[in-house]
Amino acid sequence: MDSHAPAYRYLKTLESREGFDAHVRWERELAAGNWGMVTWPAAYGGRDLDLIRWLIFEEEYFRAGAPNRANQNGIFLLGPTIMEYGTAAQKSRFLTPMARGETIWAQAWSEPNAGSDMAAIRATAIQDGDVYIINGQKTWSSRAAYADWCFGLFRSDPASTRDHGLSFILLPLDSPGVTVRPIRQLHGETGFAEIFFDNVRVPAENRIAGEGEGWNVAMATAGFERGLMLRSPARFQCTAQRLVELYRAKAGTASPGLSEIVLHAWMDAQAYALNTYSVASTLQAGGKIGAEASMNKIFWSELDRAMHRAAISLLGAAAELRAAPGETDWLDGYIFSLAGPIYAGSNEIQRNIIAERVLGLPR
Amino acid sequence: MDVRLTEDQIALRDSVRGYLAETHPAAILRRLDGAGGRDPAIWQGLHDMGLTTALIPEDHGGLGLGLLEAAVLAIELGRANVSEPIIDTAFVGIPVLLRRGEIGCLPALLGGLLRIALAHDSNPWIADHDVADIVLTESALLGGPADPPLLPAADPLRRLFPPIAESGADPFMLNTAALMAAAQMIGAADAMLAMATDYAKIRSQFGQPIGAFQAVKHLCATAAVKLEFARPVLLRAAVALQEDHPRAPLHVSHAKVAATDAAMLAAETAIQVHGAMGYTYEVDLHYWMKRVWALAGAWGDRAYHLARVDAAVIGGALPLGPDETFSTGADHG
Repeated sequence: MDSHAPAYRYLKTLESREGFDAHVRWERELAAGNWGMVTWPAAYGGRDLDLIRWLIFEEEYFRAGAPNRANQNGIFLLGPTIMEYGTAAQKSRFLTPMARGETIWAQAWSEPNAGSDMAAIRATAIQDGDVYIINGQKTWSSRAAYADWCFGLFRSDPASTRDHGLSFILLPLDSPGVTVRPIRQLHGETGFAEIFFDNVRVPAENRIAGEGEGWNVAMATAGFERGLMLRSPARFQCTAQRLVELYRAKAGTASPGLSEIVLHAWMDAQAYALNTYSVASTLQAGGKIGAEASMNKIFWSELDRAMHRAAISLLGAAAELRAAPGETDWLDGYIFSLAGPIYAGSNEIQRNIIAERVLGLPR
Repeated sequence: MDVRLTEDQIALRDSVRGYLAETHPAAILRRLDGAGGRDPAIWQGLHDMGLTTALIPEDHGGLGLGLLEAAVLAIELGRANVSEPIIDTAFVGIPVLLRRGEIGCLPALLGGLLRIALAHDSNPWIADHDVADIVLTESALLGGPADPPLLPAADPLRRLFPPIAESGADPFMLNTAALMAAAQMIGAADAMLAMATDYAKIRSQFGQPIGAFQAVKHLCATAAVKLEFARPVLLRAAVALQEDHPRAPLHVSHAKVAATDAAMLAAETAIQVHGAMGYTYEVDLHYWMKRVWALAGAWGDRAYHLARVDAAVIGGALPLGPDETFSTGADHG
């Protein structure tokens, strides 16, 4: 990491075209050293490492200042999903190019009227012989404007409602009939996109698991998203470390009370790391994480927002100016941290899940 | 690497939890309240379960458990809101004696006959001084008390007495007692959250259980998250102290702050969920809440422990990177 990551430390945001391309170059450099997805089997471009070793890899990754992963939707969400539900043919077809950064993935789940209420999905995938005909609209799809493929959830039984009759289907974003329309985000970049499907023909072999089983597959994907993989603790420990350093530099002018917030950032990042090692130990021993994954998601997303808000406070008036090249862009980080409590299932949804499935409160 | 509790530790925890659930229900707290707060039969039961001798080494006739197991059991004692001086005697007093090589009183402790009170400058009072056979200070074992005056305490089951001049400030006593206070708060928080959710399932308003309302769900979920992430911090501190890790004081302080914050939030959440019922003496919740108030201030209050974290983290002595999570700490004192 120390010999490769520094050149990629201060890339333009992943949400911009230029930044995205630079991040993809980094993905390919990682893959060249066989570091694309270290926990995967060697047959799919991995290194067969266990979860504890993955956490150590992540610590070194972030310690060296390596950038966020352009293919995070692929390697952290779809990858583990295919590993669990995919056929042997699907695994060899999709996993290796994913680990090598050759196919970059976007998630096509949300619709204008199906955000937190994902079971309200209306986009359809109707089977016609050995293809699905896809119609409808997806939206708020992160980096879909730049990605190669998407994994979507579509209604394959038009008579079905809610979480029944949905299928989990993969398709190239340059398929005939797909229109990707970028959406400008808070920071001004177009990392989001709407995706329109107009009689898009997709081979039935691109469906993961059975027809109508899409909801269960998607819930497994969401579990990976909220649980261990998407946000390893090292990322937040590095942010906490930078925040402590910023506080030391600004302590003379910091508002009273900020030191406590900074100390909490460090303590909570530690707590998140300790908890993650505990979860990894449980998983390695054959245990499962269920609704507890929702606790994780709330904890890291609210920690990340609090840390970046503290940094903005420490910077004072200087926070209004964008960071110079080679400096930590705290404002950009703050903007991104505001998305944390929303994506991967809003924190309100997570609190419902905890209340109902961990604490046993009535629906 | 595996940071889970072992099967033996889980079995020990579950047996003590089961014993206390059966023998030490909230009805016991109501009976003790106003009746002196202590009952030799409860002490005897704790002794029979092996708790008084848990940390005495096996070659001295005890169970030979460490501070990690003690912390795990202190969680259970906090969950049941046990008020006997078992933690001061067996989980703090005995480790302090062993560390000092003071093994003369181990035979009497093995018989469950002795109670130890702890005197430390960090506390403006001594708990259970009146029943103590030994008062442990920084440098001495003092004899039993001569009828000290009972101080009025917010927690009706705490028995507090004025400080003595000889207390001193033994750091190991402070760290061990702070760890055990944190552990009890984690257990108390768990108990209060369970009371809140149990009540939310049966209390009906607007034609449905109040636990079906999202506002109530979110209160409980927020408290549960805070608690969930305090647990591993506590266990890490226990391991660090047990192994005499150079960063043990920092980890103990982190645990005390995290447990205090989690327990105070659980208490406020539980009161809020209980509504006006929670504001009455009829609901048992207040015993746990008052215990948390007491433990939050005892053995170094929040400000004291936060200052120790501050000195290590912002003060600059500590390497902070993500690769330092399980550092040996050999690089600093």
